[in-house]
Amino acid sequence: MSERYSRQTLFSPIGKDGQEKIRGKHVLIIGAGALGSGSAEMLTRAGVGELTIVDRDYVEESNLQRQQLYTEQDVALKLPKAAAAKKRLQEINSDVTIHAVIGDANPEKLAELAVGKDLILDATDNFETRLAINDISQKCKIPWIYGACVGSYGMSFTIIPGKTPCLNCLLKKLPIQGMTCDTVGVISPAVGMVVSHQVAEALKILVEDWEAVRPAFVSFDLWRNQYSSIKVGKAKDESCLSCGEHPTYPFLEAENQTKSTVLCGRDTVQVRPPKPLEIQLDELAKQLGALGYTVKGNPYLLSVEMKDERVVIFKDGRALVHGTKDMTAAKTLYNKILG
Amino acid sequence: MNKVLFFAHLRDAVGEESVEVEAAGKTIAELKQQLAEAHGIQKLDAVMAAVNEEFADDDEVIKEGDTIAFIPPVSGG
Repeated sequence: MSERYSRQTLFSPIGKDGQEKIRGKHVLIIGAGALGSGSAEMLTRAGVGELTIVDRDYVEESNLQRQQLYTEQDVALKLPKAAAAKKRLQEINSDVTIHAVIGDANPEKLAELAVGKDLILDATDNFETRLAINDISQKCKIPWIYGACVGSYGMSFTIIPGKTPCLNCLLKKLPIQGMTCDTVGVISPAVGMVVSHQVAEALKILVEDWEAVRPAFVSFDLWRNQYSSIKVGKAKDESCLSCGEHPTYPFLEAENQTKSTVLCGRDTVQVRPPKPLEIQLDELAKQLGALGYTVKGNPYLLSVEMKDERVVIFKDGRALVHGTKDMTAAKTLYNKILG
Repeated sequence: MNKVLFFAHLRDAVGEESVEVEAAGKTIAELKQQLAEAHGIQKLDAVMAAVNEEFADDDEVIKEGDTIAFIPPVSGG
């Protein structure tokens, strides 16, 4: 073996054997935004065998502050993130086989992509996709690592099927109106901290050092100097529909997915959450207004003028995205606003 | 007495990192409701709770001296 991985193999919990194991593994990364860029770069440098990275979005100027794989040229070319990521990762390490998948990580796509993977890394921006990843992970017995951040705050948790509780055990109720990076901002150190937690766990799993896997849910706030680690062993719920004794994998079902439909002749896409939400419109209006968008509203809805689109959000979480016929673009925008 | 810790935006919403309350005998769900009312903040239904650094569900009964932390899950990435 060349010197390339010498500092990693000198680290005794990895060693030469661990390096061989890392080399033989295939990791699936869902999302190529801030978290996905960071973990893809670390795993590529670490010499993972294969990496598949899926993303539905393209590179924009506001990504450059924290999405470490992208450049001004990628913005000018409006490159899809998965394609731009592959290009950069290939330059970093030509030994790693990188598969770029440009598209929506819906349950069908996830089921297809999960085949043959050793680990799934979460780098998405919404809970719906995370719960679908959680179900796929349980169904296919593939570990996955949750990671999320907003502002200076971040969190991570490692889910090992058959061993730890799953995300559905922990989130009894889906957090609605999750704050997103597009509404309240994010600083890159928070991204890096989450990525570091996720990739450290990933390396443990890739070298099969199961004993070292962190059994706790960590969260931290780098600005307010808070750090917490909570033990979750007793959260494992035998009646959980994702990981319990009789799983039904509810988040893979169509009825639990956000629906988007193109409204005929109106250049508008309707996005509808699986269950009606109770959006705090005044709070959301404040956040979006602070970002410089023109927001108008009444007790029933908000109308937000974005760059190219106008989005109307109803109190129950339904939204009309005017100015596009692209369902994926509309869903992307929806998740950016509502998480 | 019980110490209640707030994380991330909850800390901003409440205006303090922690508060002291009498919560012994109450369930986590009851404490969530009480705090939301007392501080005029959004409902805490979807916020994760820990008692003495261990995950706690809504039915868990709080004991004298327990430290409770509220950790809001986020979705950004």
